[in-house]
Formats: sequence, C-alpha cells, structure tokens
Amino acid sequence: MFTTQLLDVVTTAGVLYIVALGLLIVYGVLKIINLAHGAFLAVGAYAGVVTTGLGWNPWTALLVAFVIGVAGAALVEWRVLRGLYARPMDTILATWGLNIIVVQLITLYFGREIRFAESAIGRAVNIGGATYSEYRLVLLLLAVVLGVGVWLVMQRTQIGIVARAVIMNEELAQALGINTRLVRFVTFGLGAGLAALAGALLTPLVSVHPNLGVPWLINAFMLVLVAGVSLLNLALAALVLGGAQVLVSSYGNPVLGSLTIVILAVIILRFRTITI
Amino acid sequence: MRSERPALAVEGLEGGYADSAVLRGVTLEVRPAEIFAILGKNGMGKTTLLKTMMGLLAARSGRVEVLGADVSRWAPYRITRLGVSYVPQEKSIFQDLSVEENLRLALRDLSEFTARLEAVARWFPILKSRRGQRAGTLSGGEQKMLLIGRALLTRPSLVLIDEISEGLQPAVITKLREVLTEERRARGLAIVLVEQNVDFAFALAQRYAVLKVGTVVETGRTADVGARERIERHLVL
Repeated sequence: MFTTQLLDVVTTAGVLYIVALGLLIVYGVLKIINLAHGAFLAVGAYAGVVTTGLGWNPWTALLVAFVIGVAGAALVEWRVLRGLYARPMDTILATWGLNIIVVQLITLYFGREIRFAESAIGRAVNIGGATYSEYRLVLLLLAVVLGVGVWLVMQRTQIGIVARAVIMNEELAQALGINTRLVRFVTFGLGAGLAALAGALLTPLVSVHPNLGVPWLINAFMLVLVAGVSLLNLALAALVLGGAQVLVSSYGNPVLGSLTIVILAVIILRFRTITI
Repeated sequence: MRSERPALAVEGLEGGYADSAVLRGVTLEVRPAEIFAILGKNGMGKTTLLKTMMGLLAARSGRVEVLGADVSRWAPYRITRLGVSYVPQEKSIFQDLSVEENLRLALRDLSEFTARLEAVARWFPILKSRRGQRAGTLSGGEQKMLLIGRALLTRPSLVLIDEISEGLQPAVITKLREVLTEERRARGLAIVLVEQNVDFAFALAQRYAVLKVGTVVETGRTADVGARERIERHLVL
C-alpha cells in the first residue's frame, strides 16, 4: 500500500512535470501564459488516438503529436501572437480564444464521445512487493530525461545561453544582436510541441475527450505560477502539490483531490513574499 | 577624407516613448575613425537617441544611416550585424550569466571565440582569468570592462557607448580611455560617446554635439577655443 502510494506520488509528479514543462518554457522566454497549452495537449492526445487507431506503433504517436504541435504553434505565433507581445493581456485572451477554437474543431471532427488509446506498455512490474504500471514508471523516467535534457540545453549550449539572456533582459539581448523574434518563434513552437507530446503520453492513462486539456492546463498554470521560471522549482512544485493531490484523492475524496493543486497554489501564492 | 561614407548619419530623427516626444529632429554625422561625443544633462534625450539609432525604439520620422545602409526601420539584430556594438547605460550585463557567457552572447561564429577573447584579454586580463565567475559578482569597474570587452569582441566598425564613465574610479576611466583611443587608432573604430563627464569626453572625442530637450543645440570640434566653456554653460542652464 505504502509503496504503491509512494510510486503514485512520484509518477504523478512526473506526469505533471511533463505537462507543465512547455508552459514554463513559454512563460520564461515570452513572458506570457499560453492558455492554448491545454488545446495543444488535446491535439496531442487525439494524435495518440488516431495513430493507435490506424494500428501504428503507439510510440509513433509521440513524434506525430510533437510535429503537429510545433507546426500548429508556428502558425499561431506567426499569424496571431507576434503582433500582441506588447499587450500581455491580449495574448492571454488570444490564446484562450485559440483554445476554444481548437476544442470546437476537435468536437466537430471527433464528436464529444470519450475515446481511448492503446498503451505502448501494458505490463506491470513488481517493486517492493507492489505490482505497478510499467508505463507510469516510464513516464517518470521520461520526465527526468526531459527535465535534465532541457536543463543541460539551457546551461551548456549557446541556444540555452541565448534563451536565458532573453529571459533576463530581452532589450539587452536585442542590443547584442540576438534575433529575439526568432527566439520567441522557436520557443513557442517548442513549448506547444511539448504540450502535444504530453497529450500523447497521457492517452493511455486518461479518457480522451475534446476538453481534456482544460484541467491539465489549470494545474500546469498553477505549478508554473508557484515555480516561476526555475526547472528545479517546477519539479519540487510538481512533487509537493502533485503528491498532495494523490494523498487527498486516496484518503479524502477524488473531487477534493482534483482541486488540491489549485487550492495549495493559491495558499502558497497568498503567503509567499518572494519567488521560490 | 570627407568623401568617405559616414560611420553614422542621423537626419531629422524624431522619436520617444508612447505619447511622449523626446527627440525633436536630431541631425548629426559621425565620420569613420572618429570619436564623437554627445553631451547633455539628464533627461535631454541622449539615451533615447542611442536606442532609436539602434532600432530598440521606433523612430517616428527621420533617417538613420549606419555604415552606408539606411537602417531606419531595421530590427536591432540586423543593425549589429553591420558591425555595430551598443553599450547600454544601466543593467547592461547579464548578472546571472558567467563572464564567458556574457561574452559569447556577442558572437555569432563561436569558432572564433578563443582568439577574440585572447585579443580582448590583452586589454582586460580579468575577462579571461575570471571567465567562469558570475558577472553580477564583478565590481562596478570590472563590469564596465566586461561591457567594453563584449562590445569589442565582435571587432565592430562603430560602437555606441552610453555614459560608461559614470561612477567609475579614475584608474578605470584612464584604462577605458586608453583602450578606446587605441582601438580607434589601430582599427579605425568610430565611437559615439554619450556622456555627462566633459573631462572624459574631451579626452577622447574629436567632435561633439550638445543635446538639449531632444534637439542638437550646438556642434563643434573639441579642440576649438571656447568649446568647453560653451558646453558647460549648456550643462548648467
């Protein structure tokens, strides 16, 4: 029992981390909250449904979802967001509007019924006497790989130095000859691609429907508000708040559990005086 | 000599922030291998002028020509790629990046980084010896060395420098003066120096302009008799 719950806590944290990572990257570099993040996640989830429905290897869904997410985001950044960066409130409205449009388009094409996708790994493994889903453990591993990978890129590569420079002071980065428009374009594409990738990864764990992305967006949004632009803080926030969600769902009730992250985030933000 | 294209030519430049007009028809010209000082009190539009010339602020009207190209509507990164370096006045190092990371940001072709660093380190050895140190932990004078080192790393043809001497110890000012003078002499570097420190500006510049309420009210040669007195009168009034 204890082992299972411990694994639930860490794997839930891993899933939340994967979902929130793209949102944090976009928030850090572009200084906007992409409220279409949930829509890209839903697109990724349906990419999983379609590819497995076609009989393709479930792992191909990840690539398909990522490519669709990046391509869609490139179009959105180019045609919608580029003219709005000086008006942050309008970017929030525009991305939320985009979320509504995407959800409606998905509904038009796929309908409202719940769909399921085949899991790439259906096995369970025995850990410390507990039988546990191997797929969830793979997700945890993937969260670690993504987190470390993004950290290494940010810390050890010229692309990372440029991204950090834009996060710290965009005008100064421009003055040094950095094409910040290109940085924004690539970052938004990467963030949305990660959201779609997260959606495809989630499909074996959740029922897929057009509004799938909204609750995940809310939780990811809260985690990013608590974490700021730190990858490590995001991991801690996912572990603590996600862990609390699991425990409240287990010992309290699932409805309260689904609100746990939001409630805790609001409390933390209310009493926090400095960024974690 | 005057037939050479100017390093920088500004004509009737107007600009500012939102509803506030700061520049009111600025016209000036900087020749190749010339150090040109723009002097004026606080709030007269000096920094706004540099930012508008660099494309960081949109010009409302007028024309900016850099090294023969009309850059009036260009993005800042395109202007820098012509061979222009800009040294802003405040918060202009990335405090949380290392000295080396700050320097690397200036270069597009990193294969030349080591050679360029060696060249700049001849002027400022700390940029090499403390390359791994977080830039925000450098002293004020060392941060200014990093700024100038970063600007020179790209081997520019034109450098725009905003109040570099402010708050610096005399020894550091002397060092910066020596570096800028020698870069101009050896490489033909043109420098636009925005300053309130008339001593520093006069020690370096061949010509000057005084900016008052967004307008050039006087230009001349620093060697002219009475130039300094006239400038100081503008700075007081």
